Amino acid sequence: MIVRHFLLDVNEVNAFVVGCPETKEAMLIDAGAYDDAIAQFLKEHGLTLKTVFITHDHYDHTDGLGEYVSRYSADVIASIPTVQGHKVARQVKHGDQVRVGNLTGTVYETPGHTPEGVSLAFPGCVFTGDALFAGSVGGTASEADKQRQLDAIRKHIFTLPPETQVHVGHGPSSTVAIESRYNPFFV
Amino acid sequence: MDRETLVQRIKSGECAGAELGAVDLSGCDLSGADLSNTRLSCAKLSGCNLSGANLHHAFLDGANLEDADLSGANLEFAVLGAANLNNANLTGANLQRTNLVGTRAHEARFDGAKLYYSRPGNGDFQGASFRDADIQRAIFRRANLANADLRGATGQANFDRANLEGAQQ
Repeated sequence: MIVRHFLLDVNEVNAFVVGCPETKEAMLIDAGAYDDAIAQFLKEHGLTLKTVFITHDHYDHTDGLGEYVSRYSADVIASIPTVQGHKVARQVKHGDQVRVGNLTGTVYETPGHTPEGVSLAFPGCVFTGDALFAGSVGGTASEADKQRQLDAIRKHIFTLPPETQVHVGHGPSSTVAIESRYNPFFV
Repeated sequence: MDRETLVQRIKSGECAGAELGAVDLSGCDLSGADLSNTRLSCAKLSGCNLSGANLHHAFLDGANLEDADLSGANLEFAVLGAANLNNANLTGANLQRTNLVGTRAHEARFDGAKLYYSRPGNGDFQGASFRDADIQRAIFRRANLANADLRGATGQANFDRANLEGAQQ
């Protein structure tokens, strides 16, 4: 499985390319801005960008979507019907499976930071958007939203194998073991 | 592969991006090595010389780096959560956007290091030295900084519920 991180200019947001080494199909996870480094990476590795997965509908995760859709004819996958005016090709919900070539990811609902927030887990790694950060969590509008978010993370993310890499929307990556044992919002 | 061969391969740059796991390289000289994007989770690296090494995006979660020399190393986006950095030397290291969640770093030296946007939450930095370090946007939430030396450290960091007893600021 190919996983590559990109730090984008907009709001220091992360984006990730997930690629299948066998079929050379690729998915972009979050699209805060168009970045030539992503295009270069795809080209160098012979990857074809087939889909863009959106974890949640905030500008710093979606503003580059139109560029990727137009350049690569990529399909948009999200938990809401439209993102940035683009009708999503596939609206997903908790428990749905998403394929990248021969790789299969599972969608988990992680609302709180936004109502529609979802995470996407592949064997060995999970992409949490702004639901969970290294040593922190995404901001919420109310105490009830915060509790929903913490509960969802405990239920769906912290039950993944402890060595699972956690790739987040802002800042460094982590692991399930680190976050479940040391994240100050949970312990 | 024996340890000497592995060290040679690391020093020649062949292991960048590799899955090395809980390898035992304690006491080895890996100065200047390219270990970017390398998985070294739970590796035994105590007393290792990693000065000037490129550990950009490396996974060192749970690794033992006690007494290691990481001065001038590039650890940007590296994952050092739950690692043991007790008495390690990180002088002048690039720790921008580094995961230090739950890291133990008693008496470690971060003097002049760049810790911009790093995540040292719930870490144990008792007696550590951060003199003249850049701690802008670092999140020390619930970290233990008892008796730490923060003199000359610059930038706005988050010390929410951190223990700063006896710390010099």
